[in-house]
Amino acid sequence: MRLGSSCSAMLLTLTSVLTSTALAQRGGPPQPPTPRAQAPFDITGYWVSLVSEDWRYRVTTPPKGDFAGVPLNGTGRQVALAWDPAKDEAAGESCKAYGAAGLMRVPGRLHISWTNDDALSIEADAGTQTRTIAFRGPRGSGGGWQGLSIGSWDRGESAMARGGFFPGAAARGGSLKVITTGMKAGYLRKNGVPYSAEAELTEYFDRFDLPNGDALLVVSTELVDPTYLSTPFWTSTHFKKQPDSAGWNPRPCSAR
Amino acid sequence: MTKTVHALAVLGVVLACAGVGGQAPPAPAAASAPAPGFDLSGYWTAAMHEDALERGAGPELGDYGGFPINEAARLFALSYNASRVTLRHHQCDGYVAPYSVRSIGNARAWEERDPHTQRLIAIHWYNQTFEGHRIIWMDGRPHPPAYAPHTWMGFSTGRFVGNALEVQTTHLKQGWLRRNGLPESDQATLVEFFVRHGDHLTHTSVITDPVYLTEPEVRTTDFFRQHTDHQSWLFACDDGEQILGRAPDNVPNYAFGENPFVSEFGAKYRIPPAAYLGGAETAYPEISGRLAGFTDADGAARQRPAAGPWVTSRAVDPEPRDGAVHVWPLRNNVYMLVGDEANIIVQVGDEGVFVVDSGSGRLADRTIAEIRRLSDRPIQFIANTSFRAEHTGGNAKLRAAGLDPSVRGSFFALQFADAGVGATIMSHQNVQTRMVAAKRPAEGVPSDTFLEERRRTFHNNDAIEMFWEPNASTDGDSIVHFRSADVIVAGDVFTTTQYPMIDLSNGGSVQGEIQALNDILKRTVYRHEGEGGTIVVPGHGYVCDEHEVVEYRDMLVIVRDRMQAMVKKGATLAQVKAARLTADYDTRYGATSGAWTTDMFVEAVFRDLSKRK
Repeated sequence: MRLGSSCSAMLLTLTSVLTSTALAQRGGPPQPPTPRAQAPFDITGYWVSLVSEDWRYRVTTPPKGDFAGVPLNGTGRQVALAWDPAKDEAAGESCKAYGAAGLMRVPGRLHISWTNDDALSIEADAGTQTRTIAFRGPRGSGGGWQGLSIGSWDRGESAMARGGFFPGAAARGGSLKVITTGMKAGYLRKNGVPYSAEAELTEYFDRFDLPNGDALLVVSTELVDPTYLSTPFWTSTHFKKQPDSAGWNPRPCSAR
Repeated sequence: MTKTVHALAVLGVVLACAGVGGQAPPAPAAASAPAPGFDLSGYWTAAMHEDALERGAGPELGDYGGFPINEAARLFALSYNASRVTLRHHQCDGYVAPYSVRSIGNARAWEERDPHTQRLIAIHWYNQTFEGHRIIWMDGRPHPPAYAPHTWMGFSTGRFVGNALEVQTTHLKQGWLRRNGLPESDQATLVEFFVRHGDHLTHTSVITDPVYLTEPEVRTTDFFRQHTDHQSWLFACDDGEQILGRAPDNVPNYAFGENPFVSEFGAKYRIPPAAYLGGAETAYPEISGRLAGFTDADGAARQRPAAGPWVTSRAVDPEPRDGAVHVWPLRNNVYMLVGDEANIIVQVGDEGVFVVDSGSGRLADRTIAEIRRLSDRPIQFIANTSFRAEHTGGNAKLRAAGLDPSVRGSFFALQFADAGVGATIMSHQNVQTRMVAAKRPAEGVPSDTFLEERRRTFHNNDAIEMFWEPNASTDGDSIVHFRSADVIVAGDVFTTTQYPMIDLSNGGSVQGEIQALNDILKRTVYRHEGEGGTIVVPGHGYVCDEHEVVEYRDMLVIVRDRMQAMVKKGATLAQVKAARLTADYDTRYGATSGAWTTDMFVEAVFRDLSKRK
């Protein structure tokens, strides 16, 4: 048993040494594959939200003060109770419910595409919003509804898979992990349930292919907001793959 | 040159290691590449940030928005009266697997591994609510046949796909999509994906239900991992009397269009009924823009059956129809034989084989061959639950293949040369009477009959009772109870395949059928959370327990109540048929062709109730 462990360690060490030597002799490491080439699944295309959860909160604008399920702290509740859509409209802030932390929950369609090898674009017809997921460093200065999003492929690699010696142990698949910061303060729900500019959004996008040929995109979300939330806010939102752009209906934000 | 040196060095180490490893026996090929998976083990708590009110306090009445339900599901839900859970047999009903995952409460998961190979055999997922213990088999075993029992948790198999644990579940009981009456049928199947992102687990469920859904219903649920034991893992439930003096055929329900609470949700939240009463269109983004356009008439139309023809069942046929007779062990020494139309029950033991019903006879030789595999003792008794050919067609051959030593060795043998030659066939007297009247072959007609209440015998160390159920499906039905094995053979009093065949011309009646179903329920005892315990074998269909019987009883009572109301108002048969009073059950039990159609069932109920008006 101990001998076997020693052998594995020897193999790993030897390989690392030999590989680094060989690379040095070639004059530098090869270029790593682009994020687009590394994608473990095809996330692109048109996706339509299936509104089977929080239905009332999503297809209608709930009454003021109806924030069941959202772990608001005292400050958050006060802000939610002060919601005034007319005021938002007057301030030109009708898109407060369409920021990154709330956008995936707004019923609509997504169009996801690669803008280049390093960045994904997520367009939402609801509110005519576009999120940019940059894999190699943030782009822009933040402060908008969609903030700054950094993407990475979160692979379920086991320790055995790292190093490449045990190809049979390599985990397949993976998730798109997106961390978004720098969002302009907005709403988690259209009735003024708030998140602040200090909020940090972590999302995992997973694709599941069903036996009937359908494909689902599931977005698992954790929102941490030290200003308005007492605990992280967890939701998961699902979309069904569409064969084309049918139903794509860009429309402006609505504060009501 | 460098490459060659490196390759040799690596090869040397690999060979050296192989030499060390070579001391162990080589692993079988199938075990050499364990599936890349992830650890689901631990304590999990549902985040409850979605649908918090529904999952906590409970859903609001009439709120079906976002569910891709069909007309049958909507009407079932609108007919549902929550007082139904005061009925003894519903008090401890558990949740079906997908609803269990969505419910309030904590969960715990653990792995089951082969101690010798460490291969993953199963993943266990235990839900606190109703003690829902799921076993997700990871060892590649097949799902059971269609005639196998259904459970709250169903039968699940899993595999790791990509970064997810994908689980497929069949054999679920009828339960809830939402516990305000929105049903999920026993024909539903489930595909799930468990994905773990650190200590955040996302569970995606996709329910396909041909009976109640027009397209798959998708939900995603979040859990976060806890490091400490939740401690309270039990869900205490024991049924008792909640409403005294209630008639046994009283099942609380609302007639179509008369649910008094249906408009509450709309009034409270200013949403039109046509939207919140659900349907696939309500799950898509366009619904938001359509809300203002729905009229009161749209809402009212969704609360009654639409005009149209009968709808046929979308249930899976539990009969294998492959020309073979299949054996399904029930409990102790009792087995079910499936394949020759009506189900056949076989009890084996030292005293000889006791058979209940003999099938159509088309596959009698195969039935006998399977009985021979189960026992080398002769077939001694054949009990018939009905005179119908699919229950008695094999009588003659099975009788001829057996003998009754209890008669053969008695003084009867001194009087009759053929005494005990062949098995003894027993039934209620009306079975014999009707078979003789139908000129069925004499050698297949029961000779040992009883006239009232019950016939009883102690055989193979079990007390076996035949109870006459007068005027149920016919006037000769019996149920057979193996008391020690606790198996009840229901005959045509109960099936999972069609509406009860109420044969008025042969003495059947609606009230007798309800009484017979209640007689079964008087004798059943569930093992845990309303399932298991007494096994109930239907005349046709899959192996059941009391839950399927009570749902069937409810259905018949509710249809009777609706029909009774129309009959009292003087409705004609044509009006009753046009009203589609079975619209919420037709996708499960309906038929537009064959020996027992919905049209025939409705007409039988109508004529019976009209006669008793």
